[in-house]
Order: sequence, then structure tokens, then C-alpha cells
Amino acid sequence: MLNRTADNVARATPEPLAKRIRGISDKGLAWLFISPTILLLLAINIFPLFWAIYLSFTNYRANRPNEVVKNLGLANYQRILGDQDIWIAMQTTAHFVFWTILLQTVIGFTLAWLIDRKFRGHAFWTTIILVPMMLSPAVVGNFWRFLYEPQIGLFSYVISFVTGIPPTNVQMLSNVELAPWAIIIVDTWMWTPYVMLICLAGLRSIPEYIYEAAEVDRASNWRQFWSITLPMALPFIMLAVLFRGIENFKMFDMVNLLTGGGPGSTTEVASITLKRQAFESWRTGYSSAFAIILFVAVFGLANIYVKALNKVKQR
Amino acid sequence: MADVRIQGVTKRFGDTVAINNLDLAIKDGEFVVLLGPTGAGKTTTLRLIAGLERPDSGTIHVGGHDATTLSPAERDTAFVFQQYSLYPHLSVFDNLAFPLRSPARRFPEEAVRRRVEDVARMVRIDHKLDNRSTKLSGGEMQRVAIGRALVRKPAIYLMDEPLSSLDAKLRADLRLELKRIQSELGATMLYVTHDQIEAMTMADRIGILADGVLVQIGTPRAIYSEPANLHVAARLGQPAINLLPAGLLPDGGAPTGTATIGARTEHLAIEKAANGHADGVVDWVEHLGDQNHLHVTVGAKKLVTLTDPDTPLAKGDKVTIRYIAPLYFGSDGQRLM
Repeated sequence: MLNRTADNVARATPEPLAKRIRGISDKGLAWLFISPTILLLLAINIFPLFWAIYLSFTNYRANRPNEVVKNLGLANYQRILGDQDIWIAMQTTAHFVFWTILLQTVIGFTLAWLIDRKFRGHAFWTTIILVPMMLSPAVVGNFWRFLYEPQIGLFSYVISFVTGIPPTNVQMLSNVELAPWAIIIVDTWMWTPYVMLICLAGLRSIPEYIYEAAEVDRASNWRQFWSITLPMALPFIMLAVLFRGIENFKMFDMVNLLTGGGPGSTTEVASITLKRQAFESWRTGYSSAFAIILFVAVFGLANIYVKALNKVKQR
Repeated sequence: MADVRIQGVTKRFGDTVAINNLDLAIKDGEFVVLLGPTGAGKTTTLRLIAGLERPDSGTIHVGGHDATTLSPAERDTAFVFQQYSLYPHLSVFDNLAFPLRSPARRFPEEAVRRRVEDVARMVRIDHKLDNRSTKLSGGEMQRVAIGRALVRKPAIYLMDEPLSSLDAKLRADLRLELKRIQSELGATMLYVTHDQIEAMTMADRIGILADGVLVQIGTPRAIYSEPANLHVAARLGQPAINLLPAGLLPDGGAPTGTATIGARTEHLAIEKAANGHADGVVDWVEHLGDQNHLHVTVGAKKLVTLTDPDTPLAKGDKVTIRYIAPLYFGSDGQRLM
């Protein structure tokens, strides 16, 4: 009985593919399968990277392709590191990264913690909370610009309703003080659900019996939170911070849609500066060098951070 | 240490009755083992005493006080879970110290250290105090879990199959250690298992649970030699007791109403049949190393008993079988006196 079943299975199993395509070894076949991906990766990722590294040492300008390209050595890099505007853009970026991460982590973790209470309808609320994350950034940027409108925007209306300040004075996008916060609010609104999702996964991974053990051991809810919930969810929180940190270090879409870097250059983050240098001033070589510096900075910071993350995980 | 009294406790989960009208009294310093198959309500009983579940009816007294509605923290019990419920990000030392560092207790740190070191020695984990609790073997983790219960001096220790996930050798070691520790401390302990050897070797009294009902409670000897019914008889003994219909073998002296006769090895005299009459045929002799099982076919029934390693019986031998004061059970499954 069993033998016959095995025979049937053997008969029904097709010959290995390599046997049927003559002249191609297993290894050859494997290469055949992955070559489109490799070619694509080379064409749109690896080659441009090396091309940008090359350009960063030259005075090349993309709008004057016929001009002679001179090799400048490290001059581009020297100029960038001495450029006051670049440092201001970096500071603006750091400011954004810090506040968005802080707000998103605190609110995201709190939401996750509340959802994890498993109250009635918690699945429904999870879905509702996730909606902003599912929208396209272009859509989010455009309708927040609408909400921020001083005359007709709902946001300005609510603020003036609560505080009594006339809505025309709540110029979220054109006030030098408020514009950075306008962007921080939108980014937080959009990406807090993402942080919440990761934190929720962390909280769900803590087994129930640990809490029961702690309860029998007479640990208060407060102590359970500090000595069980937080330490055990910490690797997940740190992961969320890493993802959001890298993402917001290169934040472009929301700033470009909402303020375009203005008013003045108050919301000009590094990626906006980069875009202005590359596609408004057409200093291709110079902006390539800046891009490389940003890349190395993100890469280095992320590496240090991942090391710390692994240390926390191993505990 | 204190006594624990459970009176008329019933606990339902939805439509299933996990515990049905349970009465159980555990004396101060007593080691009681609850024995029963999976789903009999053993763990639920422990969780009810710990306060992790609330009874639907009935009362639970700990140390003479009514604890029925108290929270786990107010009950003063210590619980060893079946899973190693260690705090994974803490060291062995901090795991053991966790119950002592409760703000409600306010132990000075020096006293905590001394107590933890004492207990660590007791459960033989003192060489790994600085290790992360996740970097231990299964046996070490369970020692820490047991140690974490022992650092306190609660009214009662509740242990939920603490040895079930360990290998046989370690289980035997820890079984002895637990019994030693319990008698050293004079601890009141309620211990749940489905392992009859654990129950027989450690318990002062064994309680047999089946389908949420406490079928019988008594000393290991009493449970073994005077089981209340077929269920209890079938739980103890290795190989399992032979349950034969009345009349299969000559059973002079059986009380009226006997439906089933329970016969363990010591209740059977098996001899090679002389010419003529025979009751059964030897099926095979099974050598297990530490034990030797004799399988005999009697009519449509099979018997399994212990035998000598050098038994003269062999496959195909005809044998005569006689009862020696076996256990008699009525048609309702209850044992007849």
C-alpha cells in the first residue's frame, strides 16, 4: 500500500528542470534566473553610485554637457564641509529627525500599549489607526496643505476655535516659527501608526505567563511595566526608531509638498538643499559630493545604532 | 507556611466545567500532589489558589483567612510555572531577587543578596548567578524558576509540572532535591503532575483528579493498594493494572456484584501449566532493561505483569493463573470492599 503510493508520487513528480533543458548545468540555470535582477541592480543602483562618486571629484554640470570636465580632487568636499548653509540644513534635518522620532515613538508606543489591552473592538481601532500610513505621501502632503490653509483650513480653524487667535494669524506653513512644526505634525500623523505596529508586535511577543509570574511575585502594574514590558519591547522600539531615523534623515516628499523648504530656508532639510544644488543651481559635481557625505553619515550612524541594538537584543 | 482550605469550588470556562465542586484541605507543612491526565483540572486548581483565576462558586482559605476574592499579590503564594517563566532580560541573580525586591516587602539589599545566595546553593545554581537567564540549559532554567519561588516564604508553594520538560535523568535528580528542600523548609506544597512516579515518591498525600472532580485523596500507599474506583486504579502502577471481566479466571471469594477484577503483578500467580488444564498462553517476554514484562493471552484478554529477568517462561508456553487477593470493582466502577 505504502509502496504503491510512493511509486505514484515518483511517477507524478516531474524530471528536474536542468535535466530537461539540455546543455545547462544547475549553476548555469541559477545564474540565468538571477541575471535580470543583477543587471537591473547594476544599471540603476550600483553604476549610478559609482558614477556619482566619480562626479563628486569633478566640476561637471548636467545642464552643460559639452563643457570640459575638470578633475577637482577633494575641492568639492572641502567646500561643502566649510559651507555655512549646508551646516544649517544639517541642523534643520537633525531637528526634524529628533522631534519626529520622539513624538512618533512616545505616541506610537502608547497607542500600541493601549491596543494591547485587547478591549472590545481593538482590531477595528487598529485598522483605523493604520489608515494614514496606507495613504500616498503626495495625497497626505496635499490635503494637509489644504488643512493648514489660514482662511479655509480645518486645522487653523480648530486652533483658533480653541485658543481664540484669529485664524488668519495661524499661518502654519508661512510662519517662520510654525513651519517646521507643521511638517513634524504631518510626519508624525502619517508614520506614528508604523511605529505603533512594530511596538505592538513587540508587546504581543511577551508571553502572558511572565506577567502572571510577576503578579504572583507581587510586582505592581508599574513595576511590571518597567521591569517586563519596557525592557522586553525595547529591541522592537529601537528597530522602529532606526527605520524612522533613516527614513526621516532623507525626508524629502513631505517638505517639498508642504513648504518646499521655505519660508526662507527655515525648513530646508539636507535633501531639499541637495535638490536645489543639483536641479536648480545645476552644480552636479558639488551635489554629488554632498550626496556621498550624506550617505556615509547615515550609513555610519545606522551602523553604530545597529551595534547598540544587537547588544540590547542579546541581553 | 500555612494551611490551605478549598471548599465547594467550581470553575467554568464557557460551557466546560474545569473544576466541579472541589473540596481539598492541605495541612501546614504537607506535600500534596495532584495527579491526573491532561484536562483534569490540575492546573486550574493551582491557578485558583494563586488567584490567577476566580472561582465561580465556593471559597478558598489561605492560612485561615478567606482569600477567595484577593488578588494574586495579596495571597502570599509562590508559583512555579510549567514553562520556564524567567524574566529573560535579567540575570539569574536578579531573577531570584525579583520577588524580594517588591516595594511591598522593603528588604534591605544586603538581606536580598544573602537570601538569594542561600537559595541558589539550595537549587545548585550558585555558580551561574551572573549569567543571563536566557543562556542557561533547560534544567538550569527550571532550577532558577524553582529557586525564585523558594526565596520567599509564602503560605504555600504551587508547582505546575515543574519537571515535565526536563530529561529523565535530571527529572530524577530534581525530584529528590525538591523533596529534600520541601522537608528542610517544612513547606506547604501543592504539586501538580501527570507522572505517577513523581506522585508516589514525593507526596505525603496524593489527590487523583478526573474531569474536574477529586476522585480520591490519600497517602500514596492507600491510593495504590486501595483505589476508590477503576480510574484511580488505572492511574498507578507500572505496567498498568490488568482489568479483567469477572469469571474469566477462577475467582472464588469475589464479593457479589463484582463486574471487573483488577490485578497487578502482586495479585497474580502465574505458573507453567502441568498436563491438562491451562488458563492462558504466553505471548512474549519483553525485556526493558530495568523491568521485564510478561504478556499473557487469556481468552480474548491480554495480561501484562512484571516477571524475573531469568523467568523460565517463554513464548507459547501454556500457563495457569490464580488471583491473590485482587481488587474487585462493581459494575459502576467503584471498588467493592
